[in-house]
Amino acid sequence: MSTADIFAILQGAVTTASLSGVAILLGLPLGLLLALTRWANIPIVAPLVTVYVSILRATPLVTLLLLLFFALPNIGVPIGAISAAVLALTMNTSAFNCEVWRAGLMSFPKDQYEAAQSVGMQAGQRLRRIVLPQVARACLPGLVNEMSLLIKVTPVLAVVGVVDITRAAVRIGAETYEPLPPFFVALAIYLPIVYAIVCLQRLTERRLARAEAE
Amino acid sequence: MTERPMIAKWPSCLTFVLLTTLLAVAAAAPRAWAASLQEIKQRGYLVVATEDDFRPFEFVKDGKPTGFDNELVEELRKYAPFEIKQEILPWTGLLAGVSTGKYDIAITAAIITKERKQSLDFTSPIADATHYYVKRKSDNSIKAIKDLSGKTVGVQAGSALLGRLPELETMLKGGGGKLGKVVEYTSYPEAYQDLALGRTDYVVNTIINLKTLVAEKPNVFEIGQPVSGKSFPAWAVKKGNGELLAYMNEFIAKQKASGKFAELQKKWFGQEFSDLPITFEPEF
Repeated sequence: MSTADIFAILQGAVTTASLSGVAILLGLPLGLLLALTRWANIPIVAPLVTVYVSILRATPLVTLLLLLFFALPNIGVPIGAISAAVLALTMNTSAFNCEVWRAGLMSFPKDQYEAAQSVGMQAGQRLRRIVLPQVARACLPGLVNEMSLLIKVTPVLAVVGVVDITRAAVRIGAETYEPLPPFFVALAIYLPIVYAIVCLQRLTERRLARAEAE
Repeated sequence: MTERPMIAKWPSCLTFVLLTTLLAVAAAAPRAWAASLQEIKQRGYLVVATEDDFRPFEFVKDGKPTGFDNELVEELRKYAPFEIKQEILPWTGLLAGVSTGKYDIAITAAIITKERKQSLDFTSPIADATHYYVKRKSDNSIKAIKDLSGKTVGVQAGSALLGRLPELETMLKGGGGKLGKVVEYTSYPEAYQDLALGRTDYVVNTIINLKTLVAEKPNVFEIGQPVSGKSFPAWAVKKGNGELLAYMNEFIAKQKASGKFAELQKKWFGQEFSDLPITFEPEF
């Protein structure tokens, strides 16, 4: 393995990190929005969200990706590999995030909510000041879990030509007929990426705890 | 704003309707526009798809695509009056991408088979792809085809090689033997790795791929005998895209006439294939 090979895997790391990063940033609030829609049981929209979540949770990411990549141009929507990858990851993670958020919302104590109502808080205020801070903290481990899973399913993006960490390693193995060294390098890169997210979780938890103590 | 139990029947029936609609749209959609030669000239570019781990045909070295087919893509860039846009992706989605019209042509060594000819048209063959087996050099139990009886074989899933294993089976049955367990891999590098590890006893691939493998790892692997009849790889376009096919065949013929084809074959395959047919009708 040459330095150019390691550089190629690092380039794959940039792809993995940025694609999963974008999907996480889009998928987190989208999941919350979906969960709130279901929690509030908004007519017509809530059942649609249920369907969306059920379908996406039942669809393997690689199938969804191939469907988006090959079927969308068929109905006149041109889509590139990167956009298809981001779209598939975001759709997938938003469905799982929705369920994590919803679990948090459902276990939220009703009496607190009613207490907030009785002191005359508006719906938006209740959500922002009472519900979300507590629900976010309860949901954090589940959400971070889903994030780390998302990072580790990115190798399927290779199907449409996205070169992530694993694909970069596969290419090197195919060129040198020595697949093990590049895979070790790949593994050594996944570890710090996932570790960074876990650290971020700890940091957020600590900040939330401090905010509550004040 | 409280959670009420959802009416259970709603979503499941909606799911069904939505899924059916989705599938119907995907299936009934106008069979995509694989661009004709005229359209390609008008829009000014041709979308070429190549593989990334198929040494010596196409692979990536130091971040750059190289190999036999990639050098021909470079020649095509000089030859064609339109731009060449290249997409590099794994084998898995490649032929599907051509038959759905996502890519105009697959410039890879796709072996011409009867099944593939139903959705694709193939150019003139670019090399010989007679199938051979490769074994571990240290394995003395395999000396001839008959020794393969009952042994575990590795091949690529969805490959032409997998489709032609019955030929080997017939050969083995002739000598009173039988085809052993077949293990399928998503690509050949993994198959070679498993062979080296002893999880399989032999791997079947084309002569060119195996020659490159053995040249690289002469202490680990050894080539055996041919296990199939004639077989040829070629580039593939969407079925019915006759103009583009004719254009590419003309390109190939010119490369053959100028000696470039033979030069590249010698460089990447270690031998020339000077008697390749212009067209090939597969039996399998």
